[in-house]
Amino acid sequence: MLNALWIVLLGMAIIFAVLGILLAVMILIGKLAGPRGKEEKENK
Amino acid sequence: MGAAGEFLGFLNLTWQATVMLVISGVLIWLGIAKKVEPVLLVPIGFGCLLSNIPLGGAAEEGGFLAVLREAGIHTEIFPLLIFIGIGAMIDFEPFLQRPYTILLGAAAQFGIFGTFFLAYLLGDGWLHLLDFSLQDAASIGIIGSADGPTSIYVATTLQSKYAAAIVVAAYSYMAMVPIIQPPIIKAMCSKEERALKMPSAAGKISQRTKILFPIITVLVVGLLAPKATPLIGCLMFGNLLRECGVVERLSLAAQNELANIVTILLGITVGGMMSGTEFLRPETILVFILGIIAFSLDTVAGVLLGKLMCVLSGKKVNPMIGACGISAFPMSSRVVQKLGLEANPYNHLLMQAAGANTAGQVASVVAGGVMLMLVPMFV
Repeated sequence: MLNALWIVLLGMAIIFAVLGILLAVMILIGKLAGPRGKEEKENK
Repeated sequence: MGAAGEFLGFLNLTWQATVMLVISGVLIWLGIAKKVEPVLLVPIGFGCLLSNIPLGGAAEEGGFLAVLREAGIHTEIFPLLIFIGIGAMIDFEPFLQRPYTILLGAAAQFGIFGTFFLAYLLGDGWLHLLDFSLQDAASIGIIGSADGPTSIYVATTLQSKYAAAIVVAAYSYMAMVPIIQPPIIKAMCSKEERALKMPSAAGKISQRTKILFPIITVLVVGLLAPKATPLIGCLMFGNLLRECGVVERLSLAAQNELANIVTILLGITVGGMMSGTEFLRPETILVFILGIIAFSLDTVAGVLLGKLMCVLSGKKVNPMIGACGISAFPMSSRVVQKLGLEANPYNHLLMQAAGANTAGQVASVVAGGVMLMLVPMFV
């Protein structure tokens, strides 16, 4: 039973960690590769 | 019966086969008359019909359904090919506009792990009431990914005895999201919370970001949770075909021909796994009950994090969108949109909900990979 509990705790921790890192990277990419110049004017 | 029993099917009809023939009729009826996920239920129902005709041999060794099962399910090829099609169909822009929704997707995977724990508790873990090993419990839990291909992939990789029931439960409950989720959301969110409007003016996402997203997702997820690589790889490959803008022909083929052909083959093969002797046992009923629990826990966990985000953001996040963290796309988004409009006729939440819903698609694949990584470590 302890094994199952470890799987639950580790599983949720890994999911939040992986997706948290993905979130951070995507925010960074969004800033670096976001719309600029002509593209930004078009969006406005 | 004599010699006639060797070639007349109805003389060999068992009660299990009869019940399964009725079930196949119900599935086909639901698909055609009630239009409940017809793309899935019609092929599944027909596969079930074929596999339960006595002496028909369609699902027995050497039969065409058995060959398809061996070639497409046991090798995990069908779910992976389906993911290329799904990736090509999904527009991740609503998610990229609100990347924080990925955390709602993460929270909504709790249904997988909570149900896994419960299944293992009922099985080999403690009570020994049912024949659920650690692998079976993990495969049952994965119904909570609300994602048919992920359920097939995990259940077959872990060689669960209940793969057929798990796959049918996963697909059936995806269709039943509009019935399962609203009472839970209404119980957890007051009318005031449901009426909460969200800022709609999210910035436009550049083409560069859309192209980089699938590549970066594969790198991040693959390097941190390598067991998820085949699933996330196929999903993101399909999405890259869609977004790169230079292979429109391939993108359309993935969205249409590939997705349709594999859906036909997958559906009829899954139906072919529903033979009476394997399907009709107490554990199957428990698998279906645990499946509903998985979807419900997903919804509860997603809404709880939605409520936390609502407080932290100064009421800029409607907690209901947490329920879309499950990957049942787009059913879950439509549920939240409908509930939002019921509470406030000017409250359009579809795009915000779609963001969380597509985030849930990524999260459920990661959860499948994490399960595949952890279970062998503890067996």
